[in-house]
Amino acid sequence: MKKTIHWKFTLILLLVGFMTAVQFNSMKNPEKRDTRDVWAIRQDLATEKQIHSEMLSEIRELDKTILTYRSLNDENTGRALAQTVDKLHRQAGVTDIEGPGIVIKVEPSAESAALGIPITGISPELLTRFVNELNRFKGLIFEIDGKRYTILSSIRDINGMTTVNGLNVSTPPFTMKIVSPTFADSEKLYSYLAASTIHDDFYLDDLILEVGKPKQAVEIRGYSDRIENQFLKELPKGE
Amino acid sequence: MWLPLLGLALGVSLGLLSDIQIPQIYDNYLSIAVLAALDTLFGGIRAYLQQVYDDKVFISGFFFNIALAAALAFLGVHLGVDLYLAAIFAFGVRLFQNIAVIRRIMLVKWTEKGKVSNTNEP
Repeated sequence: MKKTIHWKFTLILLLVGFMTAVQFNSMKNPEKRDTRDVWAIRQDLATEKQIHSEMLSEIRELDKTILTYRSLNDENTGRALAQTVDKLHRQAGVTDIEGPGIVIKVEPSAESAALGIPITGISPELLTRFVNELNRFKGLIFEIDGKRYTILSSIRDINGMTTVNGLNVSTPPFTMKIVSPTFADSEKLYSYLAASTIHDDFYLDDLILEVGKPKQAVEIRGYSDRIENQFLKELPKGE
Repeated sequence: MWLPLLGLALGVSLGLLSDIQIPQIYDNYLSIAVLAALDTLFGGIRAYLQQVYDDKVFISGFFFNIALAAALAFLGVHLGVDLYLAAIFAFGVRLFQNIAVIRRIMLVKWTEKGKVSNTNEP
């Protein structure tokens, strides 16, 4: 008799323990409360959607490449590969490019000239800030004082001189060129820069930013140095 | 004595390891069910100590109390009255009473045991 009671108690206690543990789990687990409001969630959703659409277009592009490879016979394979290499060169920024864009002049401010303040070069921090500001827009290609800015470029201070790709940036005035994918993008960029607070940052350094009107054809030179490839390795050739 | 404790430990570890979570809206139901289960459990222990324990009463009480508590909570949600508070109150009071009775019985048993061992001594 006593044994059966023990068994029943065990069973009931097992159930109680399980229920308590589940309750404990449910109470404990939302450790971090989601405090986003509807707009924050919408914004996150918009970001995700943008990533989605970018990925889709990338997939489409790659599909197109695959299709080109498939449709070609052996004689044309070399040409297709050369096309791909060209495209990659263009993406890496080693080729000259021409397209719709704007030209920006960096000049000493009128006040500094009037007061006789010595003109100093642009600081790397300010230049980086400007580049970051430009990078809000996708697909822009730009050149700072004749130096092509690529994904591998660096803006640094070398012995007190601001450099891009290791080459000195001249003391203002100098020009910067920006090429955008379409003319409409150039116009958008122009409007954005016209209203941007980056002008204030330049003005603090006694410089002014003269943003030119969008042009149909702006030419940018390619990255002249050899691109060093430290991490990617060639795969052994397959049969 | 150890078997029920083993059951409890097994249940707790099973619950924690399985990582089951119930949706937040059902939180109330589960908490009240846990309370009802604890109430029945201590009721059972008390009845056992008072030698009035009945299997059917214990098992049926366990499940019926849980169901009743959950049903009250459900009704309360739909009527807009916090009826689950009534269940919490009832179970809470009974829980304390049961534990008090268990404590007294244990105390009596303990003192009697002491007396017996004292008289047995030469």
